[in-house]
Amino acid sequence: MMLARVADSLYWIGRYVERAEHMCRLSDVMLTATLDRTEAASEVARMALAAVGDPDDVLKAKNPYEAALALVLDREDHGSVVSSLSRARENARQVRDQITTETWERLNIIHFRMTDPNAAKTFAGGSQAFLHDTIADLHLFKGAADATMSHGEGWRFMMLGVYLERAQLIGALLEVCFGDKKRRAITDHTALTSLLRMACALEPYLRVYTADMQPRFIQEFLLLDEDFPRSVRFCTARIEEHLSSISRPVEGVGLIGPDRLAGRLRARLQYADIDEVQASGPTAFLGAILDECAAVHKSVYEAFVAYPLEQRLPA
Amino acid sequence: MDGSTAKTKAADQAAGATFALSPYDEMLGPEQAVRPHYAALADRLSTLTPKELAERQRTLERFFLLQGITFTVYGAESSTERIIPTDLLPRIIAAEEWKTIETGLTQRLKALNMFLADIYSGQQILMDGVVPRDLVLNAPSYRRQMQNLYVPHQAYANVCGSDLIRQPDGAFAVLEDNLRVPSGVSYMLANREASKRVFPGTFRGAGVRPIDRYPDLLLTTLKSMAADWRPNPQVVVLTPGVYNSAYFEHAYLARLMGAPLVEGRDLVVHDNMVYMRTTTGLRRIDVIYRRVDDDFIDPLTFRRDSGLGSAGLFNAYRAGNVVICNAPGTGVADDKAVYAYVPEIIKYYLGEDAILPNIETFLCREPAQLSHVLAHLDKFVVKAVGASGGYGMLVGPHSTKAQQQEFADALKADPDNYIAQPTIQLSTAPCLIDDAIEPRHVDLRPFILCGEKIVVTPGALTRVAMRKGSLVVNSSQGGGSKDTWVLTDGKDLQP
Repeated sequence: MMLARVADSLYWIGRYVERAEHMCRLSDVMLTATLDRTEAASEVARMALAAVGDPDDVLKAKNPYEAALALVLDREDHGSVVSSLSRARENARQVRDQITTETWERLNIIHFRMTDPNAAKTFAGGSQAFLHDTIADLHLFKGAADATMSHGEGWRFMMLGVYLERAQLIGALLEVCFGDKKRRAITDHTALTSLLRMACALEPYLRVYTADMQPRFIQEFLLLDEDFPRSVRFCTARIEEHLSSISRPVEGVGLIGPDRLAGRLRARLQYADIDEVQASGPTAFLGAILDECAAVHKSVYEAFVAYPLEQRLPA
Repeated sequence: MDGSTAKTKAADQAAGATFALSPYDEMLGPEQAVRPHYAALADRLSTLTPKELAERQRTLERFFLLQGITFTVYGAESSTERIIPTDLLPRIIAAEEWKTIETGLTQRLKALNMFLADIYSGQQILMDGVVPRDLVLNAPSYRRQMQNLYVPHQAYANVCGSDLIRQPDGAFAVLEDNLRVPSGVSYMLANREASKRVFPGTFRGAGVRPIDRYPDLLLTTLKSMAADWRPNPQVVVLTPGVYNSAYFEHAYLARLMGAPLVEGRDLVVHDNMVYMRTTTGLRRIDVIYRRVDDDFIDPLTFRRDSGLGSAGLFNAYRAGNVVICNAPGTGVADDKAVYAYVPEIIKYYLGEDAILPNIETFLCREPAQLSHVLAHLDKFVVKAVGASGGYGMLVGPHSTKAQQQEFADALKADPDNYIAQPTIQLSTAPCLIDDAIEPRHVDLRPFILCGEKIVVTPGALTRVAMRKGSLVVNSSQGGGSKDTWVLTDGKDLQP
């Protein structure tokens, strides 16, 4: 039993924290890659900015440091790391009674680092260190949640947010790199390595496919790998798992919605074949996945948070 | 009762005498000798350098910041979060002194709840002329909607935080009762957690009575309000939301009680039953510990423009399907004018003399008392009856002629709205100010719970006027707080 508003807040904490982590990683990879003045380096910057959804990616890729600074610390930009973390913390404050002190403390520490008046200076003094520390702190936050929160409904709503966001972010990243809109495919070794770094997948990839960088292998790994925690398939399996556990006690009408959607999404990835995906072009496949993620999000909201009262009033 | 000349003359003398006395020092007795119950702390302090003390102060502040025990200061461009100024040196109360406070507060809350039960039903005390009828019935905090409504155990005020001060002669007196939605108990608990970290050795040796059962006792109190008709009542804490300055406390108490923290928008009233919206549908609520003022709990009954409460809540309460704690309308018993009558109220219902005295209070509604106050404005503290938080207040000895004139005009224009009290030198306790130990004025806010029975938690929030010489301890006026150690004498049982 949990307040609908609280479940919604926990879900969004999960989403915002995951989003912030992804943005940090994109910025970090972009800054590291562009230390080299090569064509591949600016390709990486364009990939990162396009994955964020910035329409001026080509223009901004010319000044990656400024772009990264804005991506991380611009409070006006709703998609920036600092904005995402502020919202995560604001949601956490609203459900402060539902998360453990240990979990709250981690998020609070990150918040104070990001909103410190000297944050921009610290970033300028060592952006890689700054981003590395932020990512590490976010891992600590998830670790504290995992180790101290009861793995009940509230925690599952948070994890649902994390995995749904992650599936969408990885999906969007693949779409930017391999979608049909892309004029020429990415084949450069540096760019492909950077792509794996953006998904925090380089080391696990090497262990499976060795240093042979092939777009086909990369797509297979990031989409369909069963065990890698940032593959879309892994995410959808978790989404289904958490959802079925949350909705088990719910009785009533129209509540099979999110379960059914999540099951179908998981099955789509579980039984997909990379050759077929390649043959029909990745855009169609990625588009279907992203649409279904959005549908799961919507039906979760309708089933658990903003349900019509008439159906639930006692007779 | 009128302001007899005998009374004003006595007050003249009392006021004169009060000013002549220097404030009571909590740590140092006559000839600067350390009082016995402060000896352990004084010893410890003498071994610490100012630098070590400052370091401990920083540890304490970091603890508060990380826990999110903060309030937000909204600026033009950005907002910053600050912690409430917190002093690391505990204020210590001897076991003997606490006994008087405990019995005094129990007596007082018992009488005040009987008073509330009376004025919302038979009004015997008004018919007997002990308290003026118009003073009670015309008070804005009197809620006629509460008339003849059944309140279990006659416990109207379930949570009470009374402000005590120590007078120059060392005796405690009640400055104010808070029966509406008293706050500060989370600071009492958080200060304790912090001071255990800062002075673990001294704490262990001192024999401090524990206060950590407060959340449990609060839950028991709240449950006892519905236990007659619901075997395992669902308790919730109702907060105005995250932007309220006491939000930390609401979340803190909810977490420690294991009760959901709800906002008005989470509640649904249907057929005079109150429900909350959960992920699995609607769930019935039995007891609401509300931290929302009377005016805002139900737009159908009280303020129509309020979005903080829930429409229909009060009718559900009237129907007996939910209990609101504290009951609406308790504010009339902590009204600053009614305050003056509390000793008579105690005598009337219990036949006892008040154990904790009042501060002498002049009601400006009585012409004789008004003229006395006007003649000595520079010696009095004048308070608006309806105001709180240190606003709408004149501290005579610290005021300018112009401020006094302004209040004199206000007093003449609307005498009913003001009371006056002689300026009392609050006692002082040692505080760490800019890395040095200096005395600052303090008061004491213990918390009393009343459900089936009355329980006083052996601890309190000590509020500190951080500015040198200041007598205003309210946090909205730059006041801070510190931990309060009530020592055991080995005989007291667990609360």
